[in-house]
Amino acid sequence: MTQFVQATLYGLLQGGLLALVAVGFSLVWGVMNVVNLAHGAFVLGGAYVALELHDALGLDPFVSMVPAAAVLFALGYLIQRYLVNLVVNAPIFITLILTFGLEMVLENLLRVWFTPDYQSIPTGYAQDSLRLPGDIRIPYGKLIAALLAVAVTVALVYFMRRTRTGLSILATGMDRGAARLMGVKARHVYALTFGIAAAMAGAAGAAEGAVRTFSPADARSFTLFSFVVAVLGGLGNMWGALYGGLVLGVVMSWGSQLLSGTMVNAVAFALLVVLLAVRPQGIAGKAFYASRVEV
Amino acid sequence: MRAQILGGAALATVLVLASGCGSKKAPEPAAAAGGSGVLTLGASLSLTGTTAKEGGLTKEGYEVCKKVVNDKGGFTAGGTKYTLDIQYQDDTSKQDISAQLVDQYNDKGVKLILGPYGSGPTEAAAAVVERNKQVMVDSAGADDKIFAKGYQRSFAVLSPATSYVSSMVQALSDLANPKPKTLAFISADDGFSKTATQGGTDKAKELGFQVLATEYVPNGTTDVSAALTKIKRLKPDVIVGSVHLAEGVAIVKQAKELGVVPAGGFAETVAPPIPDFAKSLGAAADGVLGSSQWTARTAGTDKYFGGAADYARTFAAQYGGRQPVYQNAQATAACLAAVLAVEKAGSTDPDKVRDALAALDTPSFFGPIRFNSKGMNVTKPMAVVQIQSGKPVPVWPTDSASGSLKWPATSA
Amino acid sequence: MSTVDAPAPPRTTTVVPAVAPWWRRSAPWVLLAAGTLGGIALQTQLYTAQERVVGTVFMFVALATAWNLIGGFTGYPWFGQVGFFGLGAYVTALCMYHLHLSFWLSLVLSGLVAGLFAAFVGVPLLRLKGHYFAIATLGVAEGLREVVLNLPRATGGGGGLTIPTLGPDAPTRWLGNDGFYILFLLIAAAVVAVALAVSRSRAGYALRAVNQDEEAAAAMGINTTRTKTLAFTLAATLTGVVGSAQAFRIQAIYPDPSFDTSITELAVIMVMIGGAGTVLGPILGAIAVQYMSEWLRENYTNAHTFILGALIIVTVVLLPQGFVNYLGDAVKTRRFSLLDNVRRYRL
Repeated sequence: MTQFVQATLYGLLQGGLLALVAVGFSLVWGVMNVVNLAHGAFVLGGAYVALELHDALGLDPFVSMVPAAAVLFALGYLIQRYLVNLVVNAPIFITLILTFGLEMVLENLLRVWFTPDYQSIPTGYAQDSLRLPGDIRIPYGKLIAALLAVAVTVALVYFMRRTRTGLSILATGMDRGAARLMGVKARHVYALTFGIAAAMAGAAGAAEGAVRTFSPADARSFTLFSFVVAVLGGLGNMWGALYGGLVLGVVMSWGSQLLSGTMVNAVAFALLVVLLAVRPQGIAGKAFYASRVEV
Repeated sequence: MRAQILGGAALATVLVLASGCGSKKAPEPAAAAGGSGVLTLGASLSLTGTTAKEGGLTKEGYEVCKKVVNDKGGFTAGGTKYTLDIQYQDDTSKQDISAQLVDQYNDKGVKLILGPYGSGPTEAAAAVVERNKQVMVDSAGADDKIFAKGYQRSFAVLSPATSYVSSMVQALSDLANPKPKTLAFISADDGFSKTATQGGTDKAKELGFQVLATEYVPNGTTDVSAALTKIKRLKPDVIVGSVHLAEGVAIVKQAKELGVVPAGGFAETVAPPIPDFAKSLGAAADGVLGSSQWTARTAGTDKYFGGAADYARTFAAQYGGRQPVYQNAQATAACLAAVLAVEKAGSTDPDKVRDALAALDTPSFFGPIRFNSKGMNVTKPMAVVQIQSGKPVPVWPTDSASGSLKWPATSA
Repeated sequence: MSTVDAPAPPRTTTVVPAVAPWWRRSAPWVLLAAGTLGGIALQTQLYTAQERVVGTVFMFVALATAWNLIGGFTGYPWFGQVGFFGLGAYVTALCMYHLHLSFWLSLVLSGLVAGLFAAFVGVPLLRLKGHYFAIATLGVAEGLREVVLNLPRATGGGGGLTIPTLGPDAPTRWLGNDGFYILFLLIAAAVVAVALAVSRSRAGYALRAVNQDEEAAAAMGINTTRTKTLAFTLAATLTGVVGSAQAFRIQAIYPDPSFDTSITELAVIMVMIGGAGTVLGPILGAIAVQYMSEWLRENYTNAHTFILGALIIVTVVLLPQGFVNYLGDAVKTRRFSLLDNVRRYRL
C-alpha cells in the first residue's frame, strides 16, 4: 500500500513537470497548427541558461526559470517572426520539417557551446524530502517543480482567457481571417504565441536542470514526451497539458510498479494509441478548434 | 506530368553519364617499403548523437597516443621509420554508419582500425573488419557477445563486460567490513549492461551473497524511482547499478529523494569515475563504489607512456590540466597495442599485424595487454574506485590502491 | 496538392487526358528501366564502400517512395513508417536466427507480416485525421520497439540479435557489398514501379481525391476506407521488405537503431523536398538529401548536423511545395521566381 501511494505521489510530481515541459508545445500546436519538433531543444536551452547562471552567479535554478524564460521568449519570437511565418500557410508537413531542421541546428549549437557532457544544476535541497507517515517521501525539488508547473499553467490560462493579448491569440487560433478583420496583427500574434511557448519551455528546462541530468542528446526525448502529453490532454484546452502530464506521470509510475521497469515507455505509448482510437480529442479536449482542425 | 518526365530523363542521363565517366582506382599501397613512412589508422567515432560525449573521450585518448608516439620520433617496423596518423570519421552513434566507415577505410587502403565507442557500433565494425581482412583494436566495445562469434581479427584491450560488476562484488567481499549480506541489482536493459549484471549476479552467488532482486530500467533513463520503490522494502545492504552515467546519477539522486538508504552503500558501473558524476551529485556521491578499466594507480609500464601516473601527467599536459578518465586511457591503450603489434610484426601487412596482436603479451600503463583466443584481454583486472570527498579513489585491487574502503559508505 | 490546409493557395490540379499518346504513357517506364540499368552500370565504377553508400541511397529511395504512397498521395501524415521497417528487420532476424529460413523466404515473410499488421492496425488508425494520425502511427512504431525490447528471449531485447551469415549456421550467405547494391537497386526499382502503377491507376486517382476532399470523394462513390487501407498496407509491405534487406546487410540488429524515428523523419523530408504526391519527387529528394548528408558528415565532422539543418530550413522556405511540384507549376505558369514562391505561403 505504502509502495502504491509512494508511486502515485511520485508519478504526480513527475507528471507536473512533464506538463510544464509540454504546455508550450500544446499551445503552439493548438493555435498555429504547427508541430514544433525543436521544442525539446528549447527546453534544453532553458536548462543551459540556468546552468550558466548557476555557474556564473550561483543563481538557484528555480529562480533562473525567469531569465531562462525571458531568453527563450526572445528566441522564440524571432524564430516565428522571421522564419516559421514564412511557411505558415504551407502544408503542415512543411512546418514540421522546418522545425526539424531547426532542431538539428540548435542541437548542434548546444553541443558545440556547452560540450556533449552530462550536466545538472546542484542545489542544496532538491534531493531532500518531506517525510509523510509510512515513510512516504516527497522530494522538495520535484515538489517545487511540480507546484511551479501548476502555477505557471494556471497563469497561462488566466493570461489567455482574461487579457486582450491572450484573447487575440485564441481568436487567431480559431479563425485567423476573422481575427485579422478585427484588427489583430496575425504576424505579431503568431510570433508572440511561439515566444510564450518557448518561454514555457525555457522555464521547464531550468526546473528540469534542478532535478535530473541533461545533455544535448536529450532534446529528442523532451519533444517526444511533449507530443504524447499534448495529445493525451487534448489540443485546444488550456488545461490539456496539465491533465495529460499528470495522467501520463501516474500511469507510467504505476506501469513500472506493476509490470517491469522496462515497460514504462510501452505503457505510455499503449495509453496513447488506445486513447486516440477511443477518444481522439484527448482527455480534456473539446471540439474547440473543430471548425479549424483540418486535414 | 511533363516536368516529371523531363526531370526523370535528366536523372537517368546523369546516372548513365556518371557511370560512364566514373574513375575506379586501385587502392594505394599503405606505405612505401624502406626509408620512412606514415602508418595510418582509421577510427569511426560517435562524435555526434547519443554517445557524443564518450566518443569525444575516445578521440582524446587516440590523440594522446598519436602525439606521444610522434613526439618520440615515431617507431620502427621492419627497418622502416613510421610516424602515426589517425583518421577520424563521425558515425553519429549509429552502427550501420560505423560499418560503412570501416568499409570506406578499407577502400582507402587503411587496414588497421581503431574501435568505435560502444558495443553496438563495435559489433557492426567487427563484422566488416572480419570480411575485409582488416584488423581492429577495440577500445570501448566491452560486451562479451561481440567476441563469442569466432571473429579472428578484432582485439579488445579492455576488460570484458562481465567483469564490470563482478569486480565490485569481489571488492565488497574482500574489503567491506561489516561484510554485506544482501545485494539488489538495478540494470539498464542494453546488451552491455545486461551482460555485466549477469557476470555480477553469478559472482555474487559464488561468493555467498544473497541477491534480493534484479530490476531492469530503460537504457539512458533519468527516472529509476519505480525500481527503487520496489527495492526499498527489501532493505538490501548494497544497491548495485549496472548502468551508464544518466541512470547512475538517477539511482543515487532518487534513492535520496525516496529515502532508500542501503545499510552498506551503492556500487555502480561506468558512472562514478566520470567527473560529471560527482559534480552532479555533490556530497551525495561520496561513498559510491565504481568499477573502472583504469586508474592512475594501475600497475605496469611501457616504453611510450611509462606508468599510469605518467600517462595521467602526459594527458593533463595535452588537455589543459584535466585528469584522464578510463575512457581516455582505454583508447590510448588500443592505439598503443596497434603500434606495438606493428613494431613486433615488422610490417604493416594486416595479416602479420593480426598475428602479432594475437601473440602480444606486454605490460603497459593500462595494465597487462594479452589477448585470449577470442581476442579479449582477460588478464587485466578491473579496478574498483570509491568516491571520497568528491574524487574517485582507487581502493581495489589493494596492490594498486591509493586509499582504503570506507564502509559502511552510507549513514542512515 | 500534397496536403490540405485551410487557406489553401490556388493551384491547378494536374489533369491527365484520358488517352495520352503512347510515348507519353510508356515514357516513365522506359526511364525507370534506363535508371535501373544506369544504376547497374554505375556499380562498375564504385569502390565497395561507395557501393554501400549508394546502396543506402537506394534504400531511402524505396523508403521515401513507399512513404509517398500514403503520405504524399492521400496526405495522411504517416509518422510511424519506421515501425514497419523495424518489424520487417526483426521478422527477418527472427526467421533466420531461430528458424534458419533462407533470407529470400524471410524477405517475403517480412513484407507479408508488415502488410498484415498494417491492414490490422490500419482500419482504426486511418479513421484519425491530421496530427492525430501522425501521433498514433508514431505511437505504434514506438510501441513495437518496446515490445521487441521486452521480449528478450526471442529478440535478445536491448542486447540485440545477430543474423548468422558465416559458417554452417548461416541459412543464406551474406551477399557482400556488390550483392546488396544490386538488391537495394532492385528493391528501389520495384517500389518505384509500384508507385508508378498506383499513380496512374484508378486507385491512384482515388487516393488523390481522398487528399483533396475525403467527404466529396466518398460522395462520388469511392470507398475511401478501403482505398486508404489498401494504400497503407501496400506502403507498409514495401517498407517491411526494405527493413528486411537492411537487417540482413547490418547483421547485428538492435531495437533502438531499427526503430529510430529519424528514419521516418528522413523519408518525410526527402518526399517533401522532392515533391509530395509525384513519383519522381521522392526519388530526387532521397538522392539529394542522402548524398548531401553523407558529404557533409565526411567533410564537416563537427558542424554537419548544423549545416544540414540549415539547408533543410532554406529549402523548405524557398520550395514549400517540393522541387517537382514547383517545377511543374513554374513550367506551366512561366513564373520561376523563388521569391514569388515564398510569398505564396508566408503570413
